Amino acid sequence: MTQNTLDPLCSPLKWPSVKVFHNLVEALAGAPLDRPFITHWIDEDEQETVTFGQFRQRARAHGFELRKSGVTAGDRVVLIMPQGIPAMAAFAGAMMIGAVPAFLAYPNFKIEPAKYRSGLLGVTANLGAKIVVIDEEFPEEMLDCVTLTEGQKLVRLSATTPDVATLPEVKIPSEALAFIQHSAGTTGLQKGVALTHEAVLTQLEHMAGALQIDSASDRIYSWLPLYHDMGLIACFVLPMVCHLPIVIQSPIDWVMHPDAMLQIITEHRCTLAWLPNFAFQFVSRRTPTDTKTHYDLSSLRALINCSEPVRSSSMDEFQNTFAPAGLKPGALQSSYAMAENVFAVTQSQNNGPARIWANGPAFRSQHRIIRAEPGASDAICFTSSGRLLPHQLIRIAEDGADLQPSYVGEILLKSDCLFRGYYNRPDLTRAALVDGWYHTGDLGFLLDNELYVVGRKKDLLIIGGENIYPQDIEEIVAAHPAIHDGRAVALGVYNPEIGTEEIVVVAEVNNEKLLANHDEIEQAIRSQVVAGLGVAVKQIFFKPPKWIVKSTAGKAARSATRDKLLREHPELNSDKSGPPS
Amino acid sequence: MTESQQMIEHVAKLIRKPNVTIDENTPLVSSGLIDSMSLVDLLIKLEDLTHMRIPAGKVQPKDMDTIAKMFATAQRVGKPRPNR
Repeated sequence: MTQNTLDPLCSPLKWPSVKVFHNLVEALAGAPLDRPFITHWIDEDEQETVTFGQFRQRARAHGFELRKSGVTAGDRVVLIMPQGIPAMAAFAGAMMIGAVPAFLAYPNFKIEPAKYRSGLLGVTANLGAKIVVIDEEFPEEMLDCVTLTEGQKLVRLSATTPDVATLPEVKIPSEALAFIQHSAGTTGLQKGVALTHEAVLTQLEHMAGALQIDSASDRIYSWLPLYHDMGLIACFVLPMVCHLPIVIQSPIDWVMHPDAMLQIITEHRCTLAWLPNFAFQFVSRRTPTDTKTHYDLSSLRALINCSEPVRSSSMDEFQNTFAPAGLKPGALQSSYAMAENVFAVTQSQNNGPARIWANGPAFRSQHRIIRAEPGASDAICFTSSGRLLPHQLIRIAEDGADLQPSYVGEILLKSDCLFRGYYNRPDLTRAALVDGWYHTGDLGFLLDNELYVVGRKKDLLIIGGENIYPQDIEEIVAAHPAIHDGRAVALGVYNPEIGTEEIVVVAEVNNEKLLANHDEIEQAIRSQVVAGLGVAVKQIFFKPPKWIVKSTAGKAARSATRDKLLREHPELNSDKSGPPS
Repeated sequence: MTESQQMIEHVAKLIRKPNVTIDENTPLVSSGLIDSMSLVDLLIKLEDLTHMRIPAGKVQPKDMDTIAKMFATAQRVGKPRPNR
């Protein structure tokens, strides 16, 4: 077992300990009234800013409204509001009266109503929420998606909040539940992670230390949805408690114009931001070449790659693309985080995450890391997610048994800010938390005190005894110039005749004209996959742009893409008795 | 060519079904002709054709169901677009 207690790299806190506060409401109350808190960037000529003082006033007013609707301490409150200041103020207002808020995704033009309806129903029913809060502009035709169970009430929060002088003081013990955040996953299968004030403050103390948060100079940029841990913890609760200004935009506006992010960072001199791995490529490729030098990214001191396995190629692409825009070398960082641990487990520091080269065949057939010369043929480059934050313990295990150092296995976690269970789901809790160790379902290895995350256990393809990570295949496929913006998904399809899985790839071409000469592209990709990984792809399906299903966060949704492919190509699924993959 | 005709051509290319004729009032989303992920692309195209900035948060699936509705949506929620 490898145990890291205190990271020696952690320098003394610039931020005085957040642990002086007993709960999040107290932490918000401690903020300087006149300091800007949230700026909502709507477009070039429309932005709204509230100070900490104004935010508190709005939160109090929403707390007052919720009390009037019968909400009391301990009640769950579901918030379905568009990304913005009112949603955040309602969340803080619910906490002020001791209630337990949870953000759920707001309907947008991309959602499929039927799927949205069933997801919402499952989540609100499980939470036993007393109140479901929507905004005044909630689309009428989507209202029937908000199915209420018995005893639940629908409340529309007004955009303008009345002045409320006082809210009766509610004593909030630090061990009380602060809020519920949902684990990543398809909406209907999301698990509610219930977190206490104490756990959240403990996590923020570790983050503030590792990132050397300085409330006098730091400013966060975010487009991340509030119903995901990265958007909620790193880009709302952390700045609320550490009294930092943030500039937010909605995820859907970012998807439309990803380069707006660069403009916002330039204008507001943001210093910190978090992005999932795919966004590093997406922003690099969607920014017109002639505008790249219009931006000034020199204010960024940490742009943190988090929530997907970190790819050195994505980081390099971003660094190379935006170095002319002043992006500092070493500004790109990484972190491993999950809703169940409030947020971060690791954080890279100094000049960016460590990289190592490992022997490819040993990695695939023995799940073992043997160092190789950088750039050697058949060597793989891994980028670390950084070092463990204080009081985070990691084990690398297989079937519950610890592995020798340098072997790849499932990451098990124990920490001082770990969740105690999924809300109302003792069955899921028992499966995930065993003897106090959380089984993350992620595969990784520890080397020189750095954690490397290589993929999801359930996504792993086992091809004739070789362990193949779909991300490795996807990276090779996406490198082909005909393939659209890195949009490729590799899947394992069980072949009963040979008793193992075979690799099937679905990839989007840049434009449909390319579909005409797919034989040539297919040949090139096949030989590159064999050369890089030593395995053959059984079949490659070329699809027009936008075919691959993306999750609400914009990641390629592997299982939904798989379902779509099997629907269009039922011949792939001829054997129903094969093992689930 | 009018903007609406340009959009019809764009959608026809997107769905790649030579037998299906598209006009301004053909249901696209509710009929399953285009999937919801294509809507980001259509919205960007709509911005280009109308020279408007369309706040995506104010658009719902029903607003994009036909080409006529798309242009009506642009009129309803769109803002004149600054030079980018």
